Amino acid sequence: MGKVKGNSGPLAQRPDNSAFKQQRLPAWSPMLTANTVLPFFYFMALICMLLGVWLLLTVQSIQEVKLDYTEAGTCDVCFEKRKNVSNAGQSCSCTVEFSIEKAFKGDVFFYYGLRNFHQNLRRYMDSRDDGQMVGRKNKLKNPTTYCQPFDKDSAGRPIAPCGAVANSMFNDSFSLKYHGPTGASVPVPLYRKGITWYTDKNVKYRNPRTENLTLAQEFEGVAKPPYWKNPVYQLDVLDPTNNGFINDDLIVWMREAAFPNFRKLYGILYRADKPFTKGLPVGNYSIKISYNFPVQYFRGRKEVMLTTLTWFGGQNHFLPIAYLVTSSLSFLLAVVLTVVWWKFGKDGKNMEE
Amino acid sequence: LDCKKHPQLYVPGQLNLYFSKKTFFKCVLHSCYSSLVLFFIPYAAMHDTMRGDGKDSADYQSFALLTQTCLLFAVTIQLGLEMSYWTAVNTFFVLGSLGMYFAVTFTMYSNGMFLMVPPAFPFIGTAQNSLSQPNVWLTILLTSILCVLPVVTYRFLFIQLCPTINEKVQVRQAKATPPPPPRRTRIRRTSSRRSGYAFSHAQGYGDLVTSGRFLRRPAVSRSSGFTNIGRTTTGFSPMGRSAGYSPTGRPQNTKAPDVEVTSLQMYRTFRDPAL
Repeated sequence: MGKVKGNSGPLAQRPDNSAFKQQRLPAWSPMLTANTVLPFFYFMALICMLLGVWLLLTVQSIQEVKLDYTEAGTCDVCFEKRKNVSNAGQSCSCTVEFSIEKAFKGDVFFYYGLRNFHQNLRRYMDSRDDGQMVGRKNKLKNPTTYCQPFDKDSAGRPIAPCGAVANSMFNDSFSLKYHGPTGASVPVPLYRKGITWYTDKNVKYRNPRTENLTLAQEFEGVAKPPYWKNPVYQLDVLDPTNNGFINDDLIVWMREAAFPNFRKLYGILYRADKPFTKGLPVGNYSIKISYNFPVQYFRGRKEVMLTTLTWFGGQNHFLPIAYLVTSSLSFLLAVVLTVVWWKFGKDGKNMEE
Repeated sequence: LDCKKHPQLYVPGQLNLYFSKKTFFKCVLHSCYSSLVLFFIPYAAMHDTMRGDGKDSADYQSFALLTQTCLLFAVTIQLGLEMSYWTAVNTFFVLGSLGMYFAVTFTMYSNGMFLMVPPAFPFIGTAQNSLSQPNVWLTILLTSILCVLPVVTYRFLFIQLCPTINEKVQVRQAKATPPPPPRRTRIRRTSSRRSGYAFSHAQGYGDLVTSGRFLRRPAVSRSSGFTNIGRTTTGFSPMGRSAGYSPTGRPQNTKAPDVEVTSLQMYRTFRDPAL
């Protein structure tokens, strides 16, 4: 055997005597001593209290008005009408009135809301084809089987956009009117663009595009979803950046809500002209609603909401109150632990054997 | 913790303190509490709100991301509390895993991945749209605090009221060795300390530690060591400037004369200095 090993002998396999290999690295050993835990609790209580107060003040400044219009005002007529499926082709409009006591200052956002509509149901959420909505032509003519039974119509033509999510799109429309103190009624302009996430509008949803073909021609041989009145390329004929799959309302609806009671953005107050330059003035308002979406099948309710916003979001009192509760809890625990420490553990009394 | 030096540390294992039904039940209780906090706090914080610029934020994907991020933070903090030794390697991997979570999340929710296989990556855009909201981070902070507070309280309370052997040893270790301990071996005191020698010691054990002489001494059973302790085999000599004390090998009230005296018992000797 002519082989000579580098290190032979009984200690050849010994690992290096470095700090890393001998597990002698400098280490910090956290210990729950009174010096660290008690100040930590007091500090935590202080921080939570400050955050709670700050958030509470922020949330208190938000103004909001909510209106359940399922059967309100003249909408009970439409509510009855929509009970019957054969009336689905007929339009129905109604008016709801409300008033604002304190002017809404700043940007005002208009939301529509649904109650008891479970957009978070598993099969419902699966029933869509993201490949089709991003503009893939093969998917346009051949939607995924997840969309069943909304993937092909009775004539066998593919449906675009396929699936239950798109099919159940919310189709009520609203127009707001302000009845000023002089009695004249002014329509409140609502800006209906820019209500979606940037990534949704520009990446997730794209129209299928071929050269020399209009959008309507792209969708030849493709059917509309069964519950829709118009096909997808007629959602907003006036604005090509809002037509087809990139329609803002469609995109907003397709972003499934997490909970059965949700709100989705409908429009933003357009503040270029008087009397809305500062927001919504005090006075009476009326909303004219084109009532299409039937909610009695799932015992749901419909509502609209007008609200101002801050950096924190809408008027949600939970977080400020939770912070204040946590702060008092933390303070209480800190006091209790201080007492316990004082009586039992001070000067290491408890560490004796 | 050095089990060789502190054989009492084996007692909890013998009493089955750490893997019993009682411990399991406590663990289940803690898990239930954490799960409820991790769902209901994000639910309540998100169910009725929107982004600062008005766009929707209470959607399924944002909620899922928020809950998962809360979970990651709570778990990482809990892990940090469980770790006894924060070395550079440990810290790197713990923080690195949290960073990895964000890296993977942002990658999976990126435009590129979506455009490759759209049905497989439907969460596109959720990460940047949701995590840019201060609302979301405040919720994460609140959840982490609520998850950690009971654990720290419970542990601290038990350390104060009925500390386990582990904690006592940890406290002793922290007090005795100069922090941070560069080596995990302890200063081996010889039997001369049984006679309270250490109080009068003038120069300190610096030489002893740095020379490593004490390491070379083999474990010697005390019963045979009484008589020849004067010429201790480590070469550790009391520096000569003590009160001229020479160990006489007086029998100490050791519990187990056959076992080498442990540091814990040495602590006991501190309390009877009158020797």
